[in-house]
Amino acid sequence: MVLIVAEHSDGKLRKSSLELAQAGRELAEALGVEPVGLVLGSGVEGVARELARYLPTVKLVDDTDLANVRAEAWTSAVSEVAKSLDAKAVLFSSGRTGLSVAPRVAVRLEAPLLEDVTSLGVEDGMLVATRLAYLSRVTERVRARSLPVVASVKPNVYPLPSEQGEGSMEAVYVSLSERDKRVSVGEKRKPSGERVSLDEATVVVTGGRGVGGASGFESLVEPLAARLGAGIAATRAVVDAGWRPYAEQVGQTGKTVAPDLYLALGVSGAVQHLSGMNRSKVVVAINKDGDAPIFKVADYGIVGDVHKIVPELTEALEEEGS
Amino acid sequence: MKIVTILKQVPDAEARLRPGPNGVDFSGVTFVIDGMDEYGVEQALRIREEGTESEIVALALGPARYEEAIRTALAMGVDRAIHIETDAGLDPISQARVLGKVIAGEEADLVFVGGKQADWDSSALGPAVAEVLGWPHSDWTISMELSDGRVTVVHDADEGSEQLELPLPAVITTQQGLNEPRYPTLPNIMKAKRKELRKCTLEEAGGAQPLTELLEQSLESRERRNVMLDGDPKEAARELVRRLRDEAKVLSK
Amino acid sequence: MIDFSLGDEQKQIQSLARQFAREVIAPRAAHFDREESFPREIVERAAELGLLNVGAPVETGGLGLSMLDEVVIGEELAWGCMGIYSILMASELGITPIVLGGSSEQQERFLRPLVERGGLAAFALSEPDNGSDAAAMKTRAVFGGDEVVLNGSKMWITNGGIADVTVVFASFDPEARHRGVAAVVVEKGVEGLSFQKIHGKLGQRAAHTAELVFDNVRVPRGNVLGEPGDGFRIAMRTLDRTRIPVAAGSVGVARRALDEAASYARERHAFGQPIVDFQAIQFKLADMKIGLETARWQTYYAAWLVDSGMPHTEASAIAKCYASDVAFAAANEALHVHGGYGYVDEFPVAKLLRDVKLNQIYEGTNEIQRVVIARGLRK
Repeated sequence: MVLIVAEHSDGKLRKSSLELAQAGRELAEALGVEPVGLVLGSGVEGVARELARYLPTVKLVDDTDLANVRAEAWTSAVSEVAKSLDAKAVLFSSGRTGLSVAPRVAVRLEAPLLEDVTSLGVEDGMLVATRLAYLSRVTERVRARSLPVVASVKPNVYPLPSEQGEGSMEAVYVSLSERDKRVSVGEKRKPSGERVSLDEATVVVTGGRGVGGASGFESLVEPLAARLGAGIAATRAVVDAGWRPYAEQVGQTGKTVAPDLYLALGVSGAVQHLSGMNRSKVVVAINKDGDAPIFKVADYGIVGDVHKIVPELTEALEEEGS
Repeated sequence: MKIVTILKQVPDAEARLRPGPNGVDFSGVTFVIDGMDEYGVEQALRIREEGTESEIVALALGPARYEEAIRTALAMGVDRAIHIETDAGLDPISQARVLGKVIAGEEADLVFVGGKQADWDSSALGPAVAEVLGWPHSDWTISMELSDGRVTVVHDADEGSEQLELPLPAVITTQQGLNEPRYPTLPNIMKAKRKELRKCTLEEAGGAQPLTELLEQSLESRERRNVMLDGDPKEAARELVRRLRDEAKVLSK
Repeated sequence: MIDFSLGDEQKQIQSLARQFAREVIAPRAAHFDREESFPREIVERAAELGLLNVGAPVETGGLGLSMLDEVVIGEELAWGCMGIYSILMASELGITPIVLGGSSEQQERFLRPLVERGGLAAFALSEPDNGSDAAAMKTRAVFGGDEVVLNGSKMWITNGGIADVTVVFASFDPEARHRGVAAVVVEKGVEGLSFQKIHGKLGQRAAHTAELVFDNVRVPRGNVLGEPGDGFRIAMRTLDRTRIPVAAGSVGVARRALDEAASYARERHAFGQPIVDFQAIQFKLADMKIGLETARWQTYYAAWLVDSGMPHTEASAIAKCYASDVAFAAANEALHVHGGYGYVDEFPVAKLLRDVKLNQIYEGTNEIQRVVIARGLRK
């Protein structure tokens, strides 16, 4: 079977896990096996039930030791379930958790790892994937040399699955060793405010150095983002300058996003930043430097002062809405 | 304390990649030490400078040109280096097995690996090495503090950040914000010449078989409209809204 | 046979200097140029990294780098800013007479504290009324007992008045012309020494250039390098060498000019295509490349001669003269390629032209260089 490791937050399935279910279903079909969902956590029956609307079978491991994501505990749990069900493929979403746990499971299962893929297929019984490399400048097609395979799938690539009625849910028990529990999780800090999550946003507004400071974000970026119902992001330069928190950073060392609409305000377009957003469907760039690299990857560009143009844009959108 | 920092050499971010006969042409591209790995080297140096007596060893698995990255690390202040020289294109999981053996042999207490690495855009090496060694691992680490037999870290989680406490030995994947890597000074560049750089082949290190194979490689090209909108701010803004609504169809409201 | 490659260590040194120029010097160069202010933090960082006074001998705690090493560093730093590089270059110029003509006791006494403190040196030969005609100097040295008393003034001295250590050339016997000149080391803070910063320079404005005034400045007899009559020869032997880093700086500016022009030409469109597609522009870029490559190799050759202990007067004169002319032409063309944008400060090219003009004038005008070269041909 194909094991789909789902993730959740605040009692709800993550959007990326729904996309993963779709990916799992397609792969299972190509392999001629069944897709099976896996939910790990504590008090997450609701999550499993939600996942069961999209997958015929869902296994639930409910254990207080799995309340926090600890890579070793998750590795043991996932590996044990995968082995017992003779999984041909184990799928993760390539968020922070997936990127850390998938390689460990690959080592544990002595399986190849297909990391952060944008598509998964089967050729001659072996798994083939496409993925990006070299700061998203190169596309690769990679084949795994054996089965089972562990793969992590990029969010915002697969569509959301259609509901399939109520699949079956089964509680499973895994044995966690002392070693699996040895890392203790301490204080957590979540980003404050009711911001639209970047991972789920269909529109993202990003401010770069050209915005001119934290106050520039408040006066230019935030009103525009509010008007569009967009997530707010920042470049590395902005985060380094302390104007915005790291959680909003898009780029090689930050988040990768692929919304329908990406607006880059006062962003120069360094390669490291582009690698985090270049799969956006439509890119708009506003920058006073006509030579800025961002214009090469923009569908629509305006050369000019963001301080003059953005308020006009926000106003024009107001008129649209009314 | 023995600290191992794993190094890679990757294409310079500013390098222009060209299409080639086998997909991408890397000739003429400048390679540099992966910026992510520099955070690891820097952190190891700071641990020593803050009072923990340490031996810092740089470890690299890759072709001959990786030597430059190793020499940079030696020039930054690492004590000695091991270069497993091979042209074989190994996936991170296979690499982890080879590196794990060497690290176990060195009896290291702490291992640093770079985060999202700029060649394969992979973060797998850290977790995979940790699993091979049977050690705990912290990914996307933005701060760390050593205490008796433990390391307390703050790392980026899916939302926000989280504090973790790991018993040593452990593997730490670095992240921007952990520190500011130093320039190698001229005197240290000259001292680096005299430091030990031990080379060995992949076979001598235990050998490895790649688990994946690269079928095809091509430059990612994405067609963009590249439409530049003129006029004064008001006109340009309105034209943009019109285009987003009618042409690109991305305005839902 | 001939090996044209840099050694591994040299490549690392080059890499360090390049990174420093790109990340520390280039972003701030326009600011210091505009304000005509001294980039103290940059000089301090350069000293921390070991890029200052690299020629100081190992015996005095220095790195004792070769001339070729210095040239490699010079090209990179000058790419960032010729003015800022000239601060470091002038310090190397200042320590060279001590290295070439000083006793080991003097080298230890003057150079060790300089290296440890990351301090600057200066070379004071030119005067208000004489530059090229160095032997006609008016600054006087009077020997008496254990002391030498200096009176007079020097002009166009980089690091003048702010250097910890300055080598001053003064005449103790005007009748004897160049045989009556002594090289005297003057330390900062000595009574009677004052300076006036020169304002309003066209370029290299980050460098502190001053007029030095000596009003009965007394220094110990032990500060004289070699014998009293050795001064002129020490000065000429120094300049024979230090022309070479000037050439390296010119190469750096030429390379920067080409980089800026090529980058602009690729982006700027006219008549439906990037202007780099037009032959007129291509020829300009090609000429810049021709000049830059040949200047670099001549500079490397002159440096190699120095490092091999071979006569280098002619080679260094050729390098200095040619590289500065090439760089000036390149900066001029780079400005031209930028069109109107080349004419304004917002773009870095105008500064290149303003900066590199001086390379044709100081450390021996290009006319003097030609005199030196012709000397060998007149026999």
